[in-house]
Amino acid sequence: MHRVSNNSQTNRRQFLKCSAAGVSAATVYHHRCIAARAMDGHLTTPVLSHHPAQAKRLLFIFLTGGFSHVDTFDPKPKLTQDHGRTVDAETLSHNTTLPLLKSPFKFSRHGECGMAISELFPHLGSIADDLCVIRTMQTDILEHFQSVLAMHTGSATVPLPSLGSWLSYGLGSLNHNLPPFVVFCERLPYAGSQVWDSNFLPPEHQGTRIQPGPDPLPHLASLQNNKTLSDLEFQMLQDVNEVHAEARRGDPNLQARINSFNTARGMMQAAPEAFNLSDETLTNLARYNVQPGDNSSFGWQCLMARRLLERGVRTVEIIDTGSNNNWDSHGNMQDHRPKAERVDKPIAGLIDDLKQRGLLDDTLVAICTEFGRTPWDVGPGRNHWHRAFTCLLTGAGVRGGTVYGTTDDYGIHPVENPVHVHDYHATILHLMGIDHTRLTYQYAGRNFRLTDVSGNVLHDILS
Amino acid sequence: MSSDQSYCAIDLIRIVGGIAALLGLGTPVFGDVDSVDFFESRIRPVLVRACLNCHEGDDAENHLRLDSREAILKGGDHGPAIVPGDPEQSLIVQAIRRNRDDLIMPPEAALPDHEINDIMRWIKDGAIWPKSIELSNHDRHWAFQRRAEVDLPPSNAWSNHPVDRFIIQQWENHHLQPVEMASPRTRLRRLYFDLVGLPPSPERTEAFVRATQIHPEWAWEGEIDRLLASPHYGERWGRHWMDVVRYADTAGDNADYPIPEVRRYRDYIIDAFNVDRPFDQFAQEQLAGDLMAEHDPERYAELITATGFLALSRRYGTAPYEHWHLTLEDTIDTIGRAFLGLTFKCARCHDHKFDPITVEDYYGLYGIFASTQYPWAGGEELHSKKLPRQHFVPLEQRDELLSTYRQQLDEMSGQISDLEQQIETAKKNAAENVTPLEKKLGQLTIAHQSLNRPGIPHGLPAAYAVTDGTPQDVSIHISGNPATTGRSIARGAIHCFSGAPLQIPSDQSGRWQLAEWISDAHHPLTARVIVNRIWQHHFGQGLVATPSNFGNSGAPPSHPELLDYLANEFVRHGWSIKRIHRLILTSKTWQLSSKTVAQNGQVDPDNRLYWRHNRRRLDAEALRDALLMVAGQLANGRPGVHPFPPIEGWKWTQHRPFKERYKTPHRSVYLMTQRLQKHPFLGLFDGPDTNATTASRTAAIVTPQSLYLMNSPQVATLSEDFASTLETESQSIDATVTQAYQLCFSRPPTSHERDRGRRYLQQYESVAVATGQPTNQAQQSAWQSYAKILLTTNEFLYLD
Repeated sequence: MHRVSNNSQTNRRQFLKCSAAGVSAATVYHHRCIAARAMDGHLTTPVLSHHPAQAKRLLFIFLTGGFSHVDTFDPKPKLTQDHGRTVDAETLSHNTTLPLLKSPFKFSRHGECGMAISELFPHLGSIADDLCVIRTMQTDILEHFQSVLAMHTGSATVPLPSLGSWLSYGLGSLNHNLPPFVVFCERLPYAGSQVWDSNFLPPEHQGTRIQPGPDPLPHLASLQNNKTLSDLEFQMLQDVNEVHAEARRGDPNLQARINSFNTARGMMQAAPEAFNLSDETLTNLARYNVQPGDNSSFGWQCLMARRLLERGVRTVEIIDTGSNNNWDSHGNMQDHRPKAERVDKPIAGLIDDLKQRGLLDDTLVAICTEFGRTPWDVGPGRNHWHRAFTCLLTGAGVRGGTVYGTTDDYGIHPVENPVHVHDYHATILHLMGIDHTRLTYQYAGRNFRLTDVSGNVLHDILS
Repeated sequence: MSSDQSYCAIDLIRIVGGIAALLGLGTPVFGDVDSVDFFESRIRPVLVRACLNCHEGDDAENHLRLDSREAILKGGDHGPAIVPGDPEQSLIVQAIRRNRDDLIMPPEAALPDHEINDIMRWIKDGAIWPKSIELSNHDRHWAFQRRAEVDLPPSNAWSNHPVDRFIIQQWENHHLQPVEMASPRTRLRRLYFDLVGLPPSPERTEAFVRATQIHPEWAWEGEIDRLLASPHYGERWGRHWMDVVRYADTAGDNADYPIPEVRRYRDYIIDAFNVDRPFDQFAQEQLAGDLMAEHDPERYAELITATGFLALSRRYGTAPYEHWHLTLEDTIDTIGRAFLGLTFKCARCHDHKFDPITVEDYYGLYGIFASTQYPWAGGEELHSKKLPRQHFVPLEQRDELLSTYRQQLDEMSGQISDLEQQIETAKKNAAENVTPLEKKLGQLTIAHQSLNRPGIPHGLPAAYAVTDGTPQDVSIHISGNPATTGRSIARGAIHCFSGAPLQIPSDQSGRWQLAEWISDAHHPLTARVIVNRIWQHHFGQGLVATPSNFGNSGAPPSHPELLDYLANEFVRHGWSIKRIHRLILTSKTWQLSSKTVAQNGQVDPDNRLYWRHNRRRLDAEALRDALLMVAGQLANGRPGVHPFPPIEGWKWTQHRPFKERYKTPHRSVYLMTQRLQKHPFLGLFDGPDTNATTASRTAAIVTPQSLYLMNSPQVATLSEDFASTLETESQSIDATVTQAYQLCFSRPPTSHERDRGRRYLQQYESVAVATGQPTNQAQQSAWQSYAKILLTTNEFLYLD
C-alpha cells in the first residue's frame, strides 16, 4: 500500500526514482495528481527538469505539405549542372529512373556565417546567423499523413501523444490561466487532431486548438453581456458547489472542479487580454505583416504566438496551413513562392521580436515540415521525398549560423550526419531540460517515450 | 530504424524489478536498470539488424547463434563468441573490429564505431541479456493458473452476502471500518446511472423511497430487476463493451471513410446485453459468427454482424488493405486485451518480455486472421482509382439474388480457367493464333472483375463483417518487418497454457477453434477478465486495477479469491452477465455511502478494499444523456442509419478527409464517432479512444470543460429547456425550486437551499429589471440562470 504524499513538490525526478524502485509509475503519477489537486487544483504545476534547461518554452512552426529542401535551404549546384540526367528514383510503389530537375530559385549567401538560402526566404536570410539548418532530416513513410504524425508524435503509424503534450506532462505550465499547449490551426492538418492529442497521457496535456478568426478559443466569452448578472450567476454556482463539497470533505476532485471554474474565469479575463493587440505599435504590427483589425493572417498567428509565449504558454505551435492548399507543390515549384511569401516575413519578424524582448534567450524555435521533395522530375514536378529533407532550429541553446549534415550532390541521401525525427525530438527535449530516455509513461503494459527506443541528441548544434 | 517496427519496451525492467522483489528474489541477478535499458536500446537492435539474418535458429551460419545469451556463450564452430567481462578476448569483438583476417563480420560492411563500442561496453559489463530473468516467473503468475474452487469466508453480523464476506475479510485484516449505508435516494440514483446511464424520475424515486420503508430488500431487488429488463440497460452496458472493441463509425484510413453498415454491429452489442447473451457465446459470435451462421439460419444476419468486432480493426494508408500487418496487429492486440487481458503487441517483433507470449504465438494467431477475408470500407482510392468498397458480407443466406449472383461468378471463373487452358495448349502447338482467345479472356476477366468488385450484391443488405478467406500459415516477420520473413508458423493460439494445441483443419482459418479456446469454461483468463470488467463498472475500479492487462506487468488482484468466486459463479450459471450484476448490486458493499473516514483514508487512500463507495464523475455519455433528459429533450429509441451522404458521391482524400458531426436527440451511444476526429463533446469529457481498445476512462478536470459548462450555447439552450419544464406560473417559488431539485438531484432541497434559491431568483430578477428587462422576461431569465447553475453543479456532475 502506498501512502498519499501531501507534498506538492513530488516531482518527476522522484517519480522516476520511485518507478525505478519498482512502484508502478502510474500509481505514483496518480498520487502526484491527488497531491496537486489537493494543493492548488493544478495538474500542470511546473516541476523540475532532468538537467538545467536552456529553453523554457517551445515555438513549433510546421509548414505542412513538405517544402522542398533543394529549393530552399540545401543548394545543389550539381543538380543544376546535371539537370535532365536520369538517376535511380524510388517511388511509393517501385524503383525507376527519372530525370533530375534543377531548382528554379537562386541561392545567395547570408549573414556572417555565409549560409546559402534561396530567394524564397529573404527575411529568414537576414537572420541566418541565428539559424541552425539541419539538412539531413529523415522520416520513415512517404505519405503526408504518416509523416506529419511522425513529426508530431514520433510515431508514423499508431497515434501516440504529441510533442507539446509530452512537454506539458514533463514540465507543467507557467500560467494556470492559459492552456499549457496551444496550436494555431486554420484548417485541420493531415491526421487531424491526433497531431496535438495527449493520447494516453492525462487529458490536461492535450493541445488547445486556436482557430484564427473572430472566435479563436471556444466558449471563452460569457453569453451573458451584463457583468453583474454573470458575476451573480458565477458566485451562486460556486456557493452551491462549496456547500456540496463541505458535506463531502476530503474529496480532492470536488475542490479541483471548483478551482477549475475559477481558472476558467481567469482565462476568460486573461485570454482576451492576450488576444487584444491594442498595445502593439504599428511598427511592430508591420514587422509581422499584420494590418490593424487583422485577426487571422499567418502574421497575426505569429504575433499571437509571441504574446502567448510571453504569458507563459509552454508550447505554441503554428500549423501552416492544413491538409490542402499547402506546401505540397507537385506540378510546379513556383507554387512554393506564394507559400513562402506568406510565412517568410512574419517568421523572421517573430524571431526578431522575441530576440529584442530577450525571450529568445529561453525560447526554442523549431521550423519544420514532414518531408522534402524529390530532386528528380516525376513529370511534372517534384514528389514527396523522406530520405533527406531540411528542418530548422533556432533560439535558446542552439548554435546560430550552423549548417548540420550533408546530403549528396543532388540532395537524395544524407552522406554525413543523418538526423531521424527521433533525433530531432531528442534534441528539442534536451534543450528543454529533459532526458528523452527518461520521460516515460506507463501505458498498456509498457513505458512509452516520445522517441520510442532510439533518438540521439545533436550535441554538435548546441551552443 | 524502420517505422514498421513496433514499439519495444525499454523501461519495463522496473516492473520486473518489482515482481522480483515481490517474489523475494532480491536484487536482480542480471544487472540493474541501466544495463537492461542499454541492451534493449543499443545492443538488441544491432544484433537484429546486422547479425541475426545468418546467426539465428537451428541453421545458423557456422553453428553460431546470437539469439540468446546461452547460445552466444556456447558459441559456434570457432568456440564461445564472448567472454563476459573481457571484450578484447571475445571472438565477436575481434570479428566486428575486423582485426583477424579469417573472421570479418558483418561480411559486407563494418559496423559503425559507436556500435562496436556499445558491444564492447556491453560485454565488459557482463553481457546482460534481460530475457532470462523474466521467463522464469511465468509459470507461477496467478492469472495463468486455473481458477481455484473458493470456499466462502464466514459470514458475520454485518452481512451474509457472499460478496460482502470476501470484502469483510480484508477489512478485518487491515482494521478498516465500513462507512454507513448510503441513503435510499442516493442508492437509487447510483443504481440508475450504473445500470441504465440515466437519472431516475422524481416519481420513481418517491415510489422507491416509500417501498423501502415497507420492505427494503424487495424494493431494492425489484428496482434492480426493473432496470435490468429496461432496453436502456443494453445502451449503457453495450457502450462499456464498445469501448473495449474500439467502436467507431469510420475506418481510420488516411481519409477516415465512413462505414454506414457498422451501426449494425453497435446494435448487435446493445441487443446482446439486453437479452443477456451468455458471454462465452457472445465471444464466439464476435470471433466466428460467420462460421456459426451456417448452422443457425434464424440468427443468420445477427451472427454475420457480430464479426464486426474483427472487421472494425483499424485501417491505415490510402489503398485497400495497405499496411495490412498493422491492421492485423490491431485485431490480435484487441483480442488479447479484450478477452484475455493480455498484451500481444510486443510479440510482433520479439518474444514478450513479461508474459509467456512468443513471436511464434503471435504469427500463429496472425495466420488465422491472414486466412480471414476482411471488408474494405473505402478510402482515398475509392475515388482516385475507382476501387469499390469490397467484401462486405450479405445478411441473407439463401436469397435467390445471392445464389444467382454466385452462380454467375462461378460460371465465369470456370470459363476463364477453361480459356486459360486453351490458350496454354494453343501456345504449345504454336501453329494456332491465340490472339482472339486472349482477347476473349481479357473481356471475360474484366466482366468478372466488375461483377465481383462491389463485394455487395445489388439489393442485398450487408454487414461490415468477415468471412473465411484462403487458409494459410504465415512466416514470422523478423523484427516485425513484413519485408523480411523467417520461418513459417502453423496457425494456432498461444502455447503457454496447458492443453493440446488447436487442431485447425488445413481448409479452415482457425477462427472457430480460437473462439472455442477463448470461451472454454476452464480458460484461466476469459471469465476472470470479463467478471473483473463488470466489477470495474460497478465500483469505478476493477479487482484487477488494469482490466485489460492481467499479465505480469499488470496489477495483482486486490481480492483474488473474490475474483475467482465471481468467475466460477459466472461460468457455472451459463456465463450470465445479468446474474453477476444482481450478485454485486445486492451486496451491502455496493450500497455503502461514498463518504470518507479519515482513519480508513490513512490505511487505504485509494479505497482498494471498498470500505466506501467511490464517488465518480458522470462519464461523457451519461452526462450528455442526463442533461438532455432533465431538459426534457432526450429522444427514446434507436435512430436509423447516420445521415452520411450517398456513397456515389464519396471522394474524400487525406487532403480533404471525411469530417462530420451529426446532431441527434438520441442517447450518446448512438452518436456518430470518428477515428481521426474526436467528437467535440465526448472528447471534452474523456470519451473513449476510438483508435484502440479502451480499458477504463479517465475523469479529467480541465478548464475547457468549465468553459463549456459556463459559456456554451448548448448548455444555455438545455437550461432554457429545463427552465421551461418547471411550472413557474402555477406554483410558488419554493415549490418550483423543490421540483427543480428533484429533477436534477433526485432529492428535495434543504430549507437552506430553498431559501438560498429563492433569494438568488429574486436578486437576479431585480438586477435584470434594473437593467431594463420587462418583469416577466426578467423572471424567466432568472429561472434560466438558476436552471443552468443546477445543471452545472458538482452534484449533477458527480455521483455519490
